[in-house]
Amino acid sequence: MDRNQKELSRQSPVGSIYVHVPFCYALCGYCDFYKELYDRQSVSPLVDALLSELRREAAEHALRIMTIFVGGGTPTTLPIPELSRLLGALRDTVDLALREALEFTVEANPATVTTEVAATLVASGVNRVSIGAQSFQPGELLVLERTHQPPQVRQTIETCRAAGIDNINLDLIFGVPGQAIAGWRENLARTIELGPDHISAYALTYEHGTRLTRQLNAGRVQRCDPELEADMYSATIEDLSAAGYSQYEISNFARPGRECRHNLAYWRNEQYLGIGPSAAGYVAGERYKNVPNSAQYIEAIAGGRLPRIEREVLPPDQRAREAAMLALRLNEGLIFAEFAARHGQRAQDIFAHAIEKHVSLGLLRVEEGALRLTPTGRFVADSVVADFLA
Amino acid sequence: MDPSRIRNFCIIAHIDHGKSTLADRLIQSSGAVSDREMKEQLLDSMDLERERGITIKASAVTLDVDLDGQPYMFNLIDTPGHVDFHYEVSRALAACEGALLVVDATQGVQAQTVANAYAAVGADLHIIPVVNKIDLPGAMPEDTAIEVEHVLGIDTGHVQFVSAKSGIGIAELMRAIAKVLPPPTGSASEPLQGLVFDAIYDEYRGVICYVRVVNGTLRKGQKILLMGRQRHYYVTELGKLRPQMMPVDTLSVGEVGYVVANIKTLKDVTVGDTITDVNAPAATALPGYQPPQQMVFCDFYPAGGEDYSELREALEKLSLNDSSFTFEPEHSEALGFGFRCGFLGLLHMDIVQERLERECGVEVVQTAPSVTYEVLMTDGSVQRIDAAGDLPAPDKVEEIREPLVEVQMIVPADCVGNIMKLAEQRRGEYNRTEYLSTQRVMLTYMFPFNEILYDFYDKLKSLTRGYGTMDYHLSGYRSGELVKLDILVGGKAVDALSVIVHRSNAERRGRRVLQRLKEEIDRHLFEVVLQAAIGTKVIARESIKPLRKNVTAKCYGGDVTRKRKLLEKQKEGKKRMKTVGRVDIPQEAFMTVLEPEE
Repeated sequence: MDRNQKELSRQSPVGSIYVHVPFCYALCGYCDFYKELYDRQSVSPLVDALLSELRREAAEHALRIMTIFVGGGTPTTLPIPELSRLLGALRDTVDLALREALEFTVEANPATVTTEVAATLVASGVNRVSIGAQSFQPGELLVLERTHQPPQVRQTIETCRAAGIDNINLDLIFGVPGQAIAGWRENLARTIELGPDHISAYALTYEHGTRLTRQLNAGRVQRCDPELEADMYSATIEDLSAAGYSQYEISNFARPGRECRHNLAYWRNEQYLGIGPSAAGYVAGERYKNVPNSAQYIEAIAGGRLPRIEREVLPPDQRAREAAMLALRLNEGLIFAEFAARHGQRAQDIFAHAIEKHVSLGLLRVEEGALRLTPTGRFVADSVVADFLA
Repeated sequence: MDPSRIRNFCIIAHIDHGKSTLADRLIQSSGAVSDREMKEQLLDSMDLERERGITIKASAVTLDVDLDGQPYMFNLIDTPGHVDFHYEVSRALAACEGALLVVDATQGVQAQTVANAYAAVGADLHIIPVVNKIDLPGAMPEDTAIEVEHVLGIDTGHVQFVSAKSGIGIAELMRAIAKVLPPPTGSASEPLQGLVFDAIYDEYRGVICYVRVVNGTLRKGQKILLMGRQRHYYVTELGKLRPQMMPVDTLSVGEVGYVVANIKTLKDVTVGDTITDVNAPAATALPGYQPPQQMVFCDFYPAGGEDYSELREALEKLSLNDSSFTFEPEHSEALGFGFRCGFLGLLHMDIVQERLERECGVEVVQTAPSVTYEVLMTDGSVQRIDAAGDLPAPDKVEEIREPLVEVQMIVPADCVGNIMKLAEQRRGEYNRTEYLSTQRVMLTYMFPFNEILYDFYDKLKSLTRGYGTMDYHLSGYRSGELVKLDILVGGKAVDALSVIVHRSNAERRGRRVLQRLKEEIDRHLFEVVLQAAIGTKVIARESIKPLRKNVTAKCYGGDVTRKRKLLEKQKEGKKRMKTVGRVDIPQEAFMTVLEPEE
């Protein structure tokens, strides 16, 4: 740790926590997050370990928690007492004065939120639920190996709202094998109809090692045509903005004021704790990732060791590049003044070549003191951002 | 040995007609090796030759033969069978008095049978026709013999019917060799004249020359002079191949053997040179051979992670035992530093490239092969160029002359129409048709060499259900309407993609290259325009539409490192490409100019 990083850690407290709960009732073929089939016996030891890691990190770092995100896996598979125990401990990390402003999100699958679960969430201070709807077409849900039925999405939203959770996100996936543009627009319309506060629309990615990718390689499923996928992305932006959801990031849309503050923290290069197997964190200039295996995770925690599998302290130059990579995903873009203050260098200088190239290609533009992707640039963000790395 | 008991001969044949098998059988029946030692096709020593079933280097084996109580010395000189190695065939022929012309009884006379037979006749050799594989179903020994007489005009009075594989007729063949082929002439009392008809490189002994003593005697310890090179050496070892190396003290007139004389590299020896005694030199050298002539040229550039010096070392290593390819440093704007290499033919080019990979572990990017053009300049001088990039400015060029080859194709009679169509596409000029039988025809054409360079043989094979065979030899130069076809990527000419083509083919060729490039080059953030041009005139155009979508949707739950690594990997992939202007061109794209036309 260099002097700079020490100061960073001393001066700026960590504002976010991500907790990974790896259990699922069924494993979807496209998903490459670390997860395992729900097994009652495994729950308590894991929650014990999560709480133990949380206590340890809280003692190690100054915290000023503004956002908490419990993801997975499916956190709502946890039995009520364990769910309550975990969420309660998380809320306890938050200063009393900040609880009012806290964004506390839990991910849920449509079929997993009962009235009881919703009540538990509310009682633990959860005020945002992110629901993995993915699609409203039974055929697409089948390809994705999702176990819920389309009507359950509405029921889940109603249950949450009835319990007092008024900030709802729906996750959607486009580019599903067999999906046509009309089918996708239908999904968007059904989503808009349900009136969530926030919508995440992801293009299906074939991640290495997933069942879906094996099916693709074996020729059992067919990849969506890239042109069609681009059309779907285009339709997403169009339809959602017409319905009052503004895009604020590549894949994220929200009603005014309902942007996900937790995810914003990632893209603004803020610090966050990552708790649980496979969770990633960024604290005091160090990016780390925990071991993606519950048994090994529990063993490390029990043995008093850090459950890390990767740790990387980036040199200042790399950190600046990474910050640019993240910031450009946001519609607000890379804000020059903020960047210079944080990295001690002007983005206009270190990225002069990349900026010039992509501005001339019409993929980036400089406006309002920020560097932003143009609407065209957003479609090829990875190609643009690659020139900001190394 | 008394020269009257010596028979020096070679075996010539079309590929796969059984030359090597016959050689093995002769060696075996002389008792030089036991059956147990007998390894298939003994004379082929390189793995690659064995795999491809072709003999690349000529070798010589001495057989001590007893025929009805009479001792004979047979010197069997092996010759390469492939069209690229004509030159080596001619060297081997010059060391012989006779030739066994092997023809497969199931296939009859083939293109290289004709070419080799003519070469043997041209070298004044006595020829014994040998009809092989007579025991195979479908063999037509008598018809084959008639074909030899009819097509080649060779006297078949001494024709031998054999099966090299099973040994049928081999004893009779041995007697015919002694009876029909003449002994060497030459005199032991004349000053030494030894013909170097081949040379190989041995890691331990340096260069080993194969020599035919034409006059005089060659002795161990003798101080010799290579007359062409004017270099002196001491003979440190002298011997015969039986077929293992067996040292001897002298090689006397008419004999064939090997000489080791502390010669460091193959570059120090010109095959065809004459060895004489420094102290009692011959007045004149033997009529020499031509130095090997490189007919096909291409550039090799280091691929992937390899570097230039590794490639240079590898080429130098290969040239130790193959002096018939040349390499010179070359620089391409698109591909960087590499080498311009010259080969005897396309097969030779493939072999060298394969050996680079197999023996040296070096991977190369290869550019399209080119022939050598003669350029008549406006000042009256003539330049020889072997790459489109070397073509002088048009205003300085009076005319461009391209090499012509006379091509003999032997094809089934019902395929003649298709072959003629192919020949027409390739600017072939019809010369003559000869019927070998009612079913088989020999067509003779004159082609611009460039037109048959790449895929002609494959096309011939496919149009004749695999039966067609061909042979060619260089037949002068002729002025033609030749132009340099440039390929522009993103408005910038890519030197490594330029080719010289006939004006009438330029557009078709250009279109094809652009189509293939379009498949090879990834979409960019901008439109990539591909153009084929002659001078400033664009004759074909293609465009690669800009990339529409390349964005990872997910944030991987805050796993920023993973996201960054994915992007870095994407960027890394680009580094292995060659960048021309703003366009990244994968290495495979440089082969597109080689692609057969549709």
